[in-house]
Amino acid sequence: MELEFEHKPAGHCENGVVRNLLKFYGVDMSEAMIFGLGSGIFFSHMPFYKMHGMPVTSFRPLPGDIFTRVTKLLGIKVKKYKFRDQQLAMEKLDEILMKGIPVGVLVGVYHLPYFPREYRFHFNAHNICVIGKDGDEYVVSDPVVIEKCRLSSNALRIVRFAKGTYPPSGRMYYISDIQGMRVLDASMVRKAILKACNRMLRIPLPMFGADGIAYLSRRIRKWERLYGKKGAALNLAQVIRMLEEIGTGGAGFRFMYSAFLQEAADILNNPRIKELSMELTEVGDKWRDFAYHSARFFKQREGEIETYDQIADKLAEIAKREKEIFTKLEREVKIG
Amino acid sequence: MKVNEVPQDGDILKGTPVRDVCYALDEEGKYREVISVGWDPKNDAINFAWSAINEETEKIRQDVIAGRLSPLSYHLSRLVMTPEILAQYTGFSRREVKRFCKKPEIFFKLGYDDLSKLASGLSISVEQLISLD
Repeated sequence: MELEFEHKPAGHCENGVVRNLLKFYGVDMSEAMIFGLGSGIFFSHMPFYKMHGMPVTSFRPLPGDIFTRVTKLLGIKVKKYKFRDQQLAMEKLDEILMKGIPVGVLVGVYHLPYFPREYRFHFNAHNICVIGKDGDEYVVSDPVVIEKCRLSSNALRIVRFAKGTYPPSGRMYYISDIQGMRVLDASMVRKAILKACNRMLRIPLPMFGADGIAYLSRRIRKWERLYGKKGAALNLAQVIRMLEEIGTGGAGFRFMYSAFLQEAADILNNPRIKELSMELTEVGDKWRDFAYHSARFFKQREGEIETYDQIADKLAEIAKREKEIFTKLEREVKIG
Repeated sequence: MKVNEVPQDGDILKGTPVRDVCYALDEEGKYREVISVGWDPKNDAINFAWSAINEETEKIRQDVIAGRLSPLSYHLSRLVMTPEILAQYTGFSRREVKRFCKKPEIFFKLGYDDLSKLASGLSISVEQLISLD
């Protein structure tokens, strides 16, 4: 059996699952709007939290946050599960699926058979949606894949119980009741923007939000001394991978949030927000410039030799700009 | 980023069903979704990470041939597994996994059941596990 589920790829896995799930229930929203309503824009650099022995840099909130925030704003009821027992996790999934309900599941990418070999790291925060079952095979909608794909039940069990940093522990979620849903309005958009601004500006620790970018910039200046030449380059490569790789996407997220702000400007009827969208687009371009120049460190291109200080300067500039933009955005939304 | 600037560098994703969705501005200054097959700086970062892994793996392979390490350590490195994660998959303690890596004499005395536990934790066969394939 396979549900009548429209699969559409997305820039970010959780947005994609949430958008496709809502579409299944007849709610049509852009990925950018989901991302914005989920206050999905974020930054953190945590030297004490490691993946593959290197600090985690993340451009997203915790997995599940976007789903929770969007459904809460819209007044949609959801159910979330986490399991210790693998058998039970698969049985519960089948039970709900057989009721005709598509189920979002959190998986690790290391064992995902359709992923390119190069992507198979122990990254455990990928979202896919289970939309059908055919004998021993599940039909899944993975937002980073162009078409729907298939996973054997054993393969699905393995990725749902992947090990390593932040194990998914069979987490799954679905929409249980859409009756009380509210129509998207200005107050929801305003609330979501204020939340994003708050998280970008006011977490009182140096590793998070716009300050976190400045913090990473300061760390980068020390990397060569701390880790040696090769270690520093590896750390930088890790940041670029988190910046650009599937399901994370730092520069991509700036553009996506800009796209959201374009929509938000219309809903809030405030052309100033459109201007801020353009400013954030410029910052997205700066992130890309940062990635482009960083790549020289591990590509060893001939010609210009750059230093970690130069790369760090670019980030310091980005941090400053993002702080300004989110401060202005907050003011704009508060008075509006 | 403008729609016509969206990179299409397919070094890694070309032969796979995986794609990136990028957000870029069209001529009217409106955001559009554009499907991309990858971007070189990102591909470079991924390839660089792999070249470091491959270098390390080759060093370990030499140590295995010289009898200083067991083939398990070679497979761990090649498959980007850590003793910690393999321990979680197999039920061995992290310390045991580390010992199997560092002490070939202990590794080669393991029974078939233990070897097959380790092999299945790595999704390879027992024959592969005890060799350098």
